[in-house]
Amino acid sequence: MVRFSSGLFAFMAAVAPVMAKPIAYADGTTVMAEYGAGTMEELQIFYAPRFDYSVGGGHVDFISDVDGHTEHINYARLNWLAHRWNLDDSQANVFVWGGAGSDTGSRFDGTRFAGNAGLQVDYETRRVYASLKSDLQRSSEFSVRIDTLQLGLAPYKHDYGGTATWFLFQARHYTAELHSGIETAALLRLFRGGAWIEAGITNAGKIQAMAMFNF
Amino acid sequence: MKLFQIALAATLLAVAAGSAATTIEMSVNGLVCAFCAQGIEKKLKKLPATSEVIVNLEYRLVAVLLKDGQDIPDPDLRKALTDAGYTVKSISRSETPMSDVRERLKQRQP
Repeated sequence: MVRFSSGLFAFMAAVAPVMAKPIAYADGTTVMAEYGAGTMEELQIFYAPRFDYSVGGGHVDFISDVDGHTEHINYARLNWLAHRWNLDDSQANVFVWGGAGSDTGSRFDGTRFAGNAGLQVDYETRRVYASLKSDLQRSSEFSVRIDTLQLGLAPYKHDYGGTATWFLFQARHYTAELHSGIETAALLRLFRGGAWIEAGITNAGKIQAMAMFNF
Repeated sequence: MKLFQIALAATLLAVAAGSAATTIEMSVNGLVCAFCAQGIEKKLKKLPATSEVIVNLEYRLVAVLLKDGQDIPDPDLRKALTDAGYTVKSISRSETPMSDVRERLKQRQP
């Protein structure tokens, strides 16, 4: 089970930034950690040899707030930037990913082979941000799809070297009886240089947080 | 003859000392976030002829100061930016010092 140690989180906060992308830039390494309101906890590390793909892996824990069952998945993954639109004042991207790993859980013994796949579509200016992500994890004993919508507004235009501030609305839906209904959250995102941190609270009063560092 | 050679050498030295390094300014599409800037800066700084890089999101500008006597051909610049994931709209060269580029950007900031 992933427990974000205070040391790791403090480190990521200290180096802390608009949108979590599985590929930051060519020859860049991305470390992402997310605490998903107690339902999902995930740590990912990716290296991008080029701007349009990255390879790496991660670990994700799911803890059902419906019946308390847990799932723990380790995975290797290839992320691919399928298309990017570079416009005058904006950028839009389509990312897809897929990989394989292992699944253990509280409702079965042993370890199962697990596969994963996903899609992210995003659009971003320096003041507006929108993304829709769908992530699928599946083994012979477990299958979950997590759909996440994020809509963001920046109160000012940041520039390189400055600190960016974003206010975001997030809506997330889990299958597999991990959470009943749609979870919504209000988030504050800050980023500067190659790092960002975001945190907020869900409609259930739980903490939602994420940190990412690119180097 | 010897005097001529000395005069020529002195003239060449004077010209070299007085010449300014070349600054390349590129207008780039897709520049919307600090990560974009970071990736471009990292890519351009790896080029041996690069002395200094400025990335400005407000004016979608990427400026590169070249090392004395060196150059980066336009196709190489376009490739570097394309490989970083961005699109170059235009490239211009001048002898404007980077400090002047910074000052101009600062004055144009909204």
